[in-house]
Amino acid sequence: MLIGLPDVGLVGLIATSYLITELKLEEIAYMDSDLLPPVIVLHRGLPHAPLRIYGNQNLIAVISELAVPVPAIYFVMREIVDWGQAKKVKRIVSMGGIPVESRQAIMEPQVFGVASNQELLDMVTKKGLSVINEGYIVGPQALSMRYSISKKVSAVAILAQSFYNYPDPEAAAIALKEFSRIFEIKVDISKLLEKGEEIRLKARDIMKRTQQEMKRMKKSQEYDLPLYV
Amino acid sequence: MSEKQRKRSIFDVMNEYMEEFETLTDELMESSFPEGPSWNTETCCLHALSNVSITPRQVIITADLPNIEPETVKVEAVDKNFIDITAKMKKKVRFTDLGIYHRQGEFSSLRCQDRIHVAFDAEKMKISCKGGILEVRFPRKKK
Repeated sequence: MLIGLPDVGLVGLIATSYLITELKLEEIAYMDSDLLPPVIVLHRGLPHAPLRIYGNQNLIAVISELAVPVPAIYFVMREIVDWGQAKKVKRIVSMGGIPVESRQAIMEPQVFGVASNQELLDMVTKKGLSVINEGYIVGPQALSMRYSISKKVSAVAILAQSFYNYPDPEAAAIALKEFSRIFEIKVDISKLLEKGEEIRLKARDIMKRTQQEMKRMKKSQEYDLPLYV
Repeated sequence: MSEKQRKRSIFDVMNEYMEEFETLTDELMESSFPEGPSWNTETCCLHALSNVSITPRQVIITADLPNIEPETVKVEAVDKNFIDITAKMKKKVRFTDLGIYHRQGEFSSLRCQDRIHVAFDAEKMKISCKGGILEVRFPRKKK
């Protein structure tokens, strides 16, 4: 199961929604809660829940076209992990961004992996992904990891260096490329790169709202150095 | 009302202060991110995302300006506290280009306006633009 919620640079959301379109996944479920704002999103004239789940026989993908409010994020992530466990998913993968201050100077963003257990960490390393040895993760990826561990579901986070508060389709493409390589799910990222500027124009509003939620959840703690002597 | 009901503990008072503080923080946050559309059909502008950071020596503004002609970027200090950034887009964007059919309008430029709360030297600005990310640096004025 792949999770792509709005977060740093909208990396996870852009990558996951592109994958859904490319693999022609069908909408199979949605999430509703009084904790979420009273919003529906219209696509091709029909209403959809902003937080919804797509899938086929091999892959389930969760996206949100709504910046999930901080008070709701715990509930949302717990429900997603519980739902995934009930559907007996093999593992939960969340894609996202790692904010870097000098992003515009980076030609090809680096991608890092985080895994819920040593076995998965070894697998990720073996596949050539750098791991985050020390650091903080804040937000949806942190909770998906935390709840997956408590539910004994394997979890991996794939995080690409990205802009903090600007939509970053390039980082999304690189994260998706790594996801595709590691989990052997074929996807062509060329269209995503071509549509980069269009995506940046369209993503301004959700980025702005996501930025407000990131401030509330103290996302900047990801820049901090942890202390464990 | 009994004495027990009337008397508030120190924790109640602290809780009230915290709630007031949270409300104030939320209000401040809302004012930093005002509600409203991210476009202006009268000026044919789309609002660009921007960010201001202030260091001890510099004011650094960045803006996300996709689909622009870099040579058309204009950075103007409207007054001593206000910066106006505009850039012409490579091609006009209509709502229909963004998949929106219930609104009408077309946009030819991106614009952002940022308020700066410290004194800066507008004459000495340095501009760079890479991959549609604009960076403007101003030295801060010494008091």
